[in-house]
Order: sequence, then C-alpha cells, then structure tokens
Amino acid sequence: MSLLGGGILKGMAVTLRNFVGSYFDRDRLTTNDYAWRAGDSLPQHAGEYPKEEGEQLRDTTTVNNYSRNFPMLLHDEGEPMDSIRCVACQICERECPPQCIYIEKSEDKKERGGNKAQFYPAKFDIDVSVCMSCQICVEVCPFDAIVMNSQFELSTPDRFGGLLLRRDDLLKSNGYYHKIHPEEAAARDQRMAEEKAAKEAKKKAAAEAAKKKAEENAKAEAEAGNEKQEDPQ
Amino acid sequence: MTEQIAFWILSAVAVLGALVAVRKRNLVHGVFALMLFFAALSGLFLLLLAEFIAAVQILVYIGAVGILLLFAIMLTERVTGDDDRRITSRGWFCGVVVAVAVFFVLLLPPIQQWPAPETVPTPEPSVEKLGQRLMNPYVVTLEVLALLLTAALIGAVTAAQGKRLAKGEEPPE
Amino acid sequence: MSLVLDILIATVPLLVIFPTLFAFTTWLERKALARIQNRVGPDKVGVPLTRYGGRFSLFGLGQPMADGIKMLFKENIVPRDADRLFHLLAPILALIPAMLVLCFLPLEFPWTDSLKPVQAFLLDGAVIFFFAITGLNTLAVFMAGWASRNKYSLLGGMRAIAQMVSYEIPLVLSAVVVVMMVGDLNAKEIADFQTGGKWIVGNWFLFTPWGLAAFVIFFIASLAETNRSPFDLPEAESELVAGYFTEYSGFKFALFFLGEYIAMFAISGLAVTLFLGGGAGPGLDAAPWLSVVWFIAKIFVLIGVMIWLRGTLPRLRVDQLMGFAWKFLLPLSILNILVAGFAWHATQQDSKTITVVTWVISLAVLYMTAKGLNQLNRAKVRPRNYRYAE
Repeated sequence: MSLLGGGILKGMAVTLRNFVGSYFDRDRLTTNDYAWRAGDSLPQHAGEYPKEEGEQLRDTTTVNNYSRNFPMLLHDEGEPMDSIRCVACQICERECPPQCIYIEKSEDKKERGGNKAQFYPAKFDIDVSVCMSCQICVEVCPFDAIVMNSQFELSTPDRFGGLLLRRDDLLKSNGYYHKIHPEEAAARDQRMAEEKAAKEAKKKAAAEAAKKKAEENAKAEAEAGNEKQEDPQ
Repeated sequence: MTEQIAFWILSAVAVLGALVAVRKRNLVHGVFALMLFFAALSGLFLLLLAEFIAAVQILVYIGAVGILLLFAIMLTERVTGDDDRRITSRGWFCGVVVAVAVFFVLLLPPIQQWPAPETVPTPEPSVEKLGQRLMNPYVVTLEVLALLLTAALIGAVTAAQGKRLAKGEEPPE
Repeated sequence: MSLVLDILIATVPLLVIFPTLFAFTTWLERKALARIQNRVGPDKVGVPLTRYGGRFSLFGLGQPMADGIKMLFKENIVPRDADRLFHLLAPILALIPAMLVLCFLPLEFPWTDSLKPVQAFLLDGAVIFFFAITGLNTLAVFMAGWASRNKYSLLGGMRAIAQMVSYEIPLVLSAVVVVMMVGDLNAKEIADFQTGGKWIVGNWFLFTPWGLAAFVIFFIASLAETNRSPFDLPEAESELVAGYFTEYSGFKFALFFLGEYIAMFAISGLAVTLFLGGGAGPGLDAAPWLSVVWFIAKIFVLIGVMIWLRGTLPRLRVDQLMGFAWKFLLPLSILNILVAGFAWHATQQDSKTITVVTWVISLAVLYMTAKGLNQLNRAKVRPRNYRYAE
C-alpha cells in the first residue's frame, strides 16, 4: 500500500537533490566556462563565453572530442579538389531529413589519389540554418567523405547567403579532422585501412580463384578434348 | 458625476457590442462582440451596486455561454470564420416588428411610473442578504436545482462513457 | 478628483510591484530549473551601467532587463492571413484580467487605510469576482490561437479552452469549503478569520483535513488554470511548437509572458488568502506593514513549488488531463464539501475529543476516497495487439 502521490514526492526529492547538490558539488555541473586562461587543463564539457575582459575564447574547433555541429567535406593530403573523397553519389542528399544538402554532379570524371576516375561534386551546398546536426549524412556515406565539424562560430549578419555553406567552405583536410576529433578520426582511418586491405585481399583471392578456375577449365577442356577424341570409335 | 461618465461609456460600449454582434458576418468576431456586450452589461450591474449579479454575469455569460458558442462554431462552421454567406433571412421585416414590440414592452413599467417618484427607497442588494434568502425561504428550490445539476452531470458522464463492453469483447479501434 | 487620486494610490503600487516581481521570477525560474538540471543558468548579465566602473554580475540578475530590452526591439511579425485586429487584441486581453484580479487580493499597504471605498477586496463578492475574471483568460488564449491562422495555434487554443473550463470547476469547488467555514465572500474577512491562532498558523485552513484536501485540489487546478507544467498542454513545445503564441514575437509575446506570470501571482495570492492566512505572520503587532511582505513571501513559496514541479514532472496526455479533472478532482472536491459541512457542525460542540475524532475521521475518509478514485482511474494497461503491422 503505497502513499498516494508518493511517486511525485519521490521525483521531487530527486530534483531537490540535484538542485542543492549543484551548489556544492562542482562535478555535477554539465557546463562550465571555457574561457581560456594559460595553464588551464582542457575542460571536459562544452561551456560558455568569456566572463571577464582579458579572457579569450578558446579555439572553438577544439572544444571536445565528441562535440559536433555541422557537416564538412573531407579531402586527403594535397590540393583539396584533387583529393576530395566525395564522388557526388547523392546518398546524403536523399537521406538528409530536413533536406538541407544540395549537390550537383560534375559532367566529367576525375582521377584522385590513385583510384579510378570518378565524378566529383560540382556544387555541394549545406544550408546550416536548416541542418539539424543529426549526423545521418555521416552514417550513410560509403566513402567516408562527410564528417561532422565542431566549428560553431557561424553567426553572420546575412540571414540567407551567410548561412549557406558552399563546397569550398565545407572542404577540410583529414589533418584538420584529426585535430578536432582525434579518437574518431583515428578509428575511421584504421577502419578505412582495414577495409581497403580486406578489399585488396579479396581481389587477390578472387584473382587467384579465377586463375585456378581457368586452369581447371583448361584441364577439363583438355580432358573433354581427349574424350572427344576417344569418342568416335 | 463619475458614475454618470461611467454609465454613458458602458452604455455606448454595450450598444456598440450588440450592434456589431448582429451585423458581423464573421461568426467568431460576432461572438467576441457579444462578449463585449456582456462585459459592459456587467459593468452596468456594478454601477447599480448589484455586484453579485455582475460577477455572475461575467462567470455565466462570458465564461460559459460565450465559450459554448465558440465551441459550437469550431465544431460546425469552417474554423476560419470568413464565411461570406448572407445570414439575413427573408422574414426580416417580422423580426424588426417583434424586436420593436419587445422593446416597448420592456419600456412599459418605467413609462407607467413616469414621472419618477421623488424618493425611491434604495434597496441594499448584498451578497449576504442573497445568501440568507437562498438558504432560508428558498432552500428547497435550491436543493432541487442542485439535485438537477448533479443528475445532469452524472447523465453527461454516462453519455460520454459510451457502450459498456461485455466480458472478453474487444474495444473498437 | 480625490476619488481618482484614491484609485491611483490603490492601483499604481500593484502595477509597479507585480511586474517587477515578474522580472525577478523569470530569473528565479531560469536559475532554479538550471540548477535542477545541473546547469548554472544565466549568470553573466550584471547590473546595468556598471560596465565602466568594475563589473557586478550579481548572479545574472540583470538578465530580465536584458530580455525585456530585447523583446522591445524585436520585429513585430504578423502572419499574412492572420486576423490583424484580434492578433493585436489577444495579448492585451491576456494581460488585463490577470492585472485586474490582483485588486481582489487583500494586500493591505500601509497607506491604504484611508482608501476604504476604492479597495476591491472589500467587496462582498470579491472571491466570486476573482473566479469570474480569471476565467476571461481563456478567451485571450482562444483569440490568439484563432487569430494566428495556424493549425498549431488553433489546436493550442482549443486545448486551452477545454483544459481551463474543466479545471475551473474543481478550483471553485475547493474554494467553497473555505467560504463555508468563514461564512463570507469578502477576501479581507477570509484572511482575518485565519489570524491569531496558536503559533500564528493555528487558524490556517491548510492545517485542517478538509482544508488540506481543498488546498491540494486548488493548487493542482491552479497549475492547470495558469498553463503551468505538468499541465502545459496548450503550449506544449514538443507537440505544438509553442501552442497559441506560436505566431507571436517581440513585445506581444512579452505581454503574453507577463500575463501568464501575473496570473500565477494572482492565483497563488488567492491560495494564500484562502488557505495560508493571508498576510498573517510574526511581527505584525510592531509593524503592520509587514503583512504585505508576508503575503508576497507566501506567494513566492507557492511559486517556488510550481517551478520545482515544472523541473520534476513530465507533461500529461490530453485524455489523462481531462480524466484527472473530471474523474478525480471533481468527485473529491464535492465530497470534501460534504465532509467540511459535517466537520463544521461537529467542531461547533467545542469539545476537544469530538474535534480530534472529527479530524481523524475526515482525514481518513478523504484519503481513502482519493486512493479509491486513483485505483478506479488507473488505466487498464494490457499488451497492445498489433493487428495490421505484421
């Protein structure tokens, strides 16, 4: 037989504990200042703007390993357009829930980083006033070409043009990605390397199998030929 | 002096509200104009020191009747309310005759007593006296009314409850 | 002319004090909610004009003023198809009843001794007036929802009407208990009736079984009347964008906001008058003006609980909301009137034993009824039968 309204009281006790606790236990606070003073260790959470004059805003891209804001396009080392990973397959454009991505495929194909020639995006726009940072584009991309940026200082006096990020604004190097999200980038690179190795191994195996099969076929044909020869007796 | 000014303002608002309520095509506008009229009427009651009636005027006419009207409009008419159909019926002449007749019937008692007697005994309508009257001479009536309202409430609950399901019967989806 | 002057003296303090308290309450609410969620809340905006002579951020107390200035300068956007007149009138109509009912709270300022004829709370029907005028708020909400020409706004408005009409009944019925006990509808008489008990609180209606039940019902219904969480369905952010004020911006939005908080003050003030002894408190003999301070302090205790509940409870569903009003609060408040009637006659005997027995019996009856109603209303949850999704 429980007390009537006991559940509500229990809930209120929890919130009261949070309320009082947040004044005494600084570790409870999920936000803190990220105004940067020399010698500060990196705070664990995203935070607030500088409180006092003389403090400066920390480099806003390195807030946190896991923070994310809007997508960016990755390219490998070298000239951005020569090593862009995106092949304009438009999967992200179709999957984007708020439909903030706009892609125009190139007319011609272009060779990049030793792979075979592929299309590239002639236009790749993201309207960040529409984007909801859901990261679905990142998850669906088969080429690891789009990942989340953590740059959030995007305020602009231009409501329409200023918030429409063009392809060249979006292009960032893999090195930059390693800088802002070290763990995630390392994991991604490792996975890509593994996949590539696996693919090559598979290719090799396939080639061997094909070779073997060809040999077998030849052998079988030869035998068949022998049989044929023997046949018309 | 202040009462005079208040009386004229309230009367003007009341007449205006009533006129707008009748003339407006947009039904929602009409209902709100009607509520304005009720509010002005409540103010007039207040000027007559009938504060209980003034409060009940707001509570019942604006708070209940007005909202009921709004609900009715929302459930029947197109909710936007911009309906341009004419709502004047063909028998408008009879309507005018009846309205004028009713107006004069209402006017009859003051005309009969014209000129007004010099000293009118000002009644003291107070909430307390009203309560005493309700609880002493009219208590049976009050109880019967209360019973009626309770019955209506229970009836409404029963009506809203819908069909009672037999054992094992699936509720309709 | 002296009448006009008297009216000004009686009303201007209300028009100054409560909007100021509103500003403070928005800050308080943001801080408290932030702390409940383990955040810091606004703490940067300080006292204005101190920027060049050292900075006092004072826990962000300047935030309401910054918000107000921002609201004033924001663009006033009216949807193209909106009903322009009603769109303009709705926020004004939302504020007027809320401000008007403040006059019915027995706030006895020290300078109002000579103002007997113009003080509304001395009216014989003050409590009825209070309920009548609070009900007008519904109209403003509907007007806003309808005039915006937006389905979310209209849905919010319709929800608001259904909710407020339903909860007004338990609200009024729970107040009836107090009116029965005092035998007066005059707000000052009700407050005075509760002064001078044992340890100041002895005569408060909160500390009687029927008064406690009535207070709980009244408080829950007042949460619903002022659209506070967990009854904030008319403005449910996750369902209706912002409900009836989705299409409002700038100062009109600020007016809605102000009206909502003033309504909170007003209804808490009525709860204080009815159940918490009005301005009763220690030190009144030495300084009678303290009664205003005590009154406002008690209002703030209730507002604090409202904020606390907002930080704790999730929002109700529409059917739960209506079911709670009609199937739980309404029967309980009617029974409470009956219990209070019997209890009043029993305690008239002036015998301690009878009083104690009455208290125990009525508390047990009320609690068991509430428990039983709760059991009756429990939703019959069974595993859902998916017939089509195979």
